[in-house]
Amino acid sequence: MKIIVCVKQIRHTYSRTGMDPEKLYIAAEDNICRINPYDEAALEAALRIKDNSGAEVIMLTLGPVIAETELRRCLAMGADSIYQIDTEAELDSWQKSGLLAMAVKEIGADIVFCGKESLDKQNGQAGAFLAYHLGLPFVSAILDIKASDNHAEVRRSAGRGAREVFDCGLPAVFSVDMGQYESRVPTYTAKKKVQSCKINKLTFTVEKFTKMTSQAEVFQPRPRPKMIPVPDSSLPAFYRIDQLLIGSKVEKKGAILGGTPESQAQGIMSFLKEHGLIKSKKE
Amino acid sequence: MLSAFDLLIIVIALIIIFTGFLGRRSAWRAGLKEKRAGDFAGLLKYLFGHSKIMTKRAAGIAHLVIFWGFLIPLIVIILAQSDFKIPLVPAEILSLLMDILGIAFLAGTVFFLIRRIKSEDPLSPKRSIFPMILLCIVLITGFLAEGARLSIIPDSSWASPFGWLLSMGLPPSPVFMQIMIRLHFFAVFIFIAILPFTFVRHLVTSPINVFYKRKNSRGELKKAYIDKGQIGANTVRDFTWKQLLDSEACVSCGRCDENCPAAVSGKPLKPRKIIQDILQLMLSGSKNRKRSLPDSPLDSKITGDEIWSCTACMACVEHCPVFIEPMDRIIEMRRYQVMGKGLLPAEAVPMIRNLELYGDVQGMGISHRRDWAMNRDVPLFGRDFDFLLWAGCSGAFHPRYQEVARSLVKILNAAGVRFGILGKDELCCGDPARRLGEESLFLKIAGINIQTFRNYNVKKIITMCPHCYNTLKNEYPGIDEKSAGNAMKDIEVVHAVEFAMDLIKEKRIIPKYPVNKHVAVHDPCYLGRVNGIYEQPRSIIKNLPGTNLTEFKRNYEKGFCCGGGGGGMWLHEHLGKRLNAIRAEEAAESGADIIGTACPYCLTMLDDGISGLDLSKPPKVLDIIEILASSIG
Repeated sequence: MKIIVCVKQIRHTYSRTGMDPEKLYIAAEDNICRINPYDEAALEAALRIKDNSGAEVIMLTLGPVIAETELRRCLAMGADSIYQIDTEAELDSWQKSGLLAMAVKEIGADIVFCGKESLDKQNGQAGAFLAYHLGLPFVSAILDIKASDNHAEVRRSAGRGAREVFDCGLPAVFSVDMGQYESRVPTYTAKKKVQSCKINKLTFTVEKFTKMTSQAEVFQPRPRPKMIPVPDSSLPAFYRIDQLLIGSKVEKKGAILGGTPESQAQGIMSFLKEHGLIKSKKE
Repeated sequence: MLSAFDLLIIVIALIIIFTGFLGRRSAWRAGLKEKRAGDFAGLLKYLFGHSKIMTKRAAGIAHLVIFWGFLIPLIVIILAQSDFKIPLVPAEILSLLMDILGIAFLAGTVFFLIRRIKSEDPLSPKRSIFPMILLCIVLITGFLAEGARLSIIPDSSWASPFGWLLSMGLPPSPVFMQIMIRLHFFAVFIFIAILPFTFVRHLVTSPINVFYKRKNSRGELKKAYIDKGQIGANTVRDFTWKQLLDSEACVSCGRCDENCPAAVSGKPLKPRKIIQDILQLMLSGSKNRKRSLPDSPLDSKITGDEIWSCTACMACVEHCPVFIEPMDRIIEMRRYQVMGKGLLPAEAVPMIRNLELYGDVQGMGISHRRDWAMNRDVPLFGRDFDFLLWAGCSGAFHPRYQEVARSLVKILNAAGVRFGILGKDELCCGDPARRLGEESLFLKIAGINIQTFRNYNVKKIITMCPHCYNTLKNEYPGIDEKSAGNAMKDIEVVHAVEFAMDLIKEKRIIPKYPVNKHVAVHDPCYLGRVNGIYEQPRSIIKNLPGTNLTEFKRNYEKGFCCGGGGGGMWLHEHLGKRLNAIRAEEAAESGADIIGTACPYCLTMLDDGISGLDLSKPPKVLDIIEILASSIG
C-alpha cells in the first residue's frame, strides 16, 4: 500500500515583537518554521497503518524548503521518502491542490492524507480540492482509520461527542484532525540516518490551474485601529495603555433623524444607498 | 609451623581467590574506556578515617573495628610465620592489642550478623549471612585455641585477658587445641576462597572503587559522544569500566534506598536494585568463560517505571559509602530509552518539543525572553559589563519566579552591581533535556549558549536556578571543545544566594527591615548536595533582622527532594506518594512561617504541596532572594 502524506511547512508566529505595522508587528525572529501539527497527526496516522499492515509512506510538500530540520524529523519518525514540489509562486488553495494532485498522480497512492487545516491560514480547503482534482472520495477531519487493501473504515467526530464511522473505498483522500494521535518521538539513530536522505524535487507548471480566489483585503477586527507605533516599552504601563487606547479609538459619527416616520424611513434608505449597502433595482 | 598439607590449602585458597577475582576483573575491564586517575592518598585517608562509612554511626563503628581487627592480626600472623624474635614486652603488648581487637572484631561481626538476619526488606537483594558466620567461627575458634593453649601452658594473663578467661573453663588438652587451630585455619582459608563470590569481595573491590573515585564535580554527567554511537546504555556493554566496577564494589548496604526519595515515597525505583541488577547482568555472560560482556538488554531487568521515577537528586550518590553513582546509570538508561528507542514519556514530549522549536521549556519563544524585565532597570548585556544575569527559563517565563528575578534585580541595583541580561540571545541551559536523556538536544542548545557567551565575552555569570547553575558551572566546561580563548572553564558562575551573601559580607547591601518570622531552609538538591552550598542560604537568613532559622527534619546532605528535578517537573508522578506532599508535611512539622528555598522547581513543587495539605496556617514558600529583597527595603 502506498500512502502519501501532504505536509505543509508553516511559519508559526507565536509573538509580535516587530515594529512595523505593515508587517503586522512581526519581526523575522518571531517566525518559527515548523510542520503544521495537523499534518504531523496525519503522518502519525499513516505511520500507524505502516506499523500494522505495512505500507510505503511518502511525504509531499509544496513550496520552498523553509523547515528542513523539521521535515527531516518527520522522516526520522518513519516516513520512507519525501517529495517537494518546487515553486516559488504565490498560489491559492485551488492551485496548490492542483499541483499536489499532479504530484500524487505521478507518485501514485492508495491513500492520501493531509491535515484538517493549517495553523497559519486555517482555510482547510486543500484536502477537499485535492480530492476533486483527483476525482477521489474525501472524508474530512477523521480521527481514526482502519485500512485494508481496497477499503477503509474511518471515524470522525459528529459533534457533541458523537462519532460517525464511514466506509470508504480506496484510493481516497482523508484530512486528519488532531485527535487521539500522539505523535511519536524519533530516535537519534533515525534522525542521523535521514540526514543524508534526498528531498526529491518535482516541477510542474502551474498554468493549468487558474487562480480561483485572491486575497482582496485583510482588515482588523472592529474597532478599526489607527496605525500607531508599538508602545514604547520604556514608558510606564499607564502611558503605554493610554497610547494603545488612543490608537484604537474610533470616533462614532451619527445623525439622529427627526420628523415623521416616513421621512425617517426615507432618511435610512438614502443613507444605505449612499454608502452602497443596498442597490435599488431600477439602476 | 606450616606443614605441606597446610601449604597445599593455602595455595588452593590463593588460586581460588586469584582466579575468582581475575574472572570478575575481566568482566568489568571489558567496559568502555574512561579516563580515571587513581588517588592513593585519598584512599589511605578514607580507609583510616572511615569518614564516609561513619555517617551512619553504629554501623560505621562496627565496620571500623572489623576493618582494623581484620587487617592488623592478618599482618601480624603473616609476619609471625617467619622465624624472628621480638622482645617479650612489645610482644606482650602486641598480644594484648590483638586480643582487644579480636573482641571488638567479634562484637562487630555479631552486630552485622544480627543486622543481616533481621533485615526483612522483601525488595532488597538476598542478604548472605554465610561469610559473617564464617568470621564468627574464625574468631571463636581462635579464642578457644588461645584459651586451650593458656590452660596447657599458663602465660602472663594480662597480655591476653579474653584467652585467659576462657582457659579457666577449658580442659588442658593438646588435642582440643589442635582441633581448634585446624578449624581456625580452615575457616580462614574458606573465607579467603569465598571472597570473590559473596558480598565480602568488597574487601578488594571497594578500595579499588574508592581509589578511582571521581575528581570532577559530581554534578557533571558523563558526556555521550552521540556521533560515535554512544546513545546511552542498552546493555551492560554500554557502560564504562568504572561504571561496571561500581556494581562490583556494591555491598548492598541499602543506604541509597534509605535516602532515595523515589524509594522512600513508594515508587518502584531502588538504586541498590539497579546496581545489583547491572552486576547480575554483567556476570551472566562471564560464566560461559567468555571475555565479552553479555548483550541481554538492561530493560529485561530494569523497568521503565524505575528509571523514570528518578528525580536526579543525587541522594544515592551522596550517601553511598564507597562512591558508587547509581544516578548516572539511570540517566544512561534514560538516554537509550529516548535516543535509541524514542520512548520518552508522553507527558514530557511537549516540553522537549518546545525546547526543540522555541528554545525554552515553556514554549513562549525567545522574543518574550525580556518581558519579565520590561520597564525595570535591567540593561541588556554589553561588552563592558561585569556580570551576566542568567534569568533561565523560570526566571524569564514562570510568572511566580519572575518575581524572584525582579527581586534579584532589586538587590543587584541596590548594591550597584553592573550587570546585564542576554534577552533574546538566551536559551534554556538544557538541563531538563539532559536529565531526561535527550542528550542530542542538550548538546545542540549548550553549543549555541557557549557560542553566545564567547560572542559577548562573558566573564562572570549569576544564576538563580540551581539547575542552570550546575549546568553552566559543571557541565558546560566539559562539552566546550575549544579550550583556547574565552573558554567556559574560565567563566566564573555564581548562584544568586552565594553572590548575595558576598554582598552582605562586603556590606554592599544591608538588610535593615525586620522579617519577624521563623524561616526553614529547604536545601535544593543541585545547590546543596551537588555543589555543597549549604551555609550561604542559612547565613542570609541569619543576617536578616528578626528572623529565626528553623530546620527541617531532613536537611543538609539528607535534604529531601521536592520532586521537580531530573525532568520530574514535567513527568506525572503516578506511582507512590507525591514527593512534594511528603516534603510539605515536613515543612508543616518544622513549624516555620516561611519556607525559604533557592530553586524554581522547589518553589513551585513545595507551594503546590503545601496548598494541597489544607493547613489552617500554611507556611509561605518564598525564595531566599525574595526574603532578602524585602528586608533591604
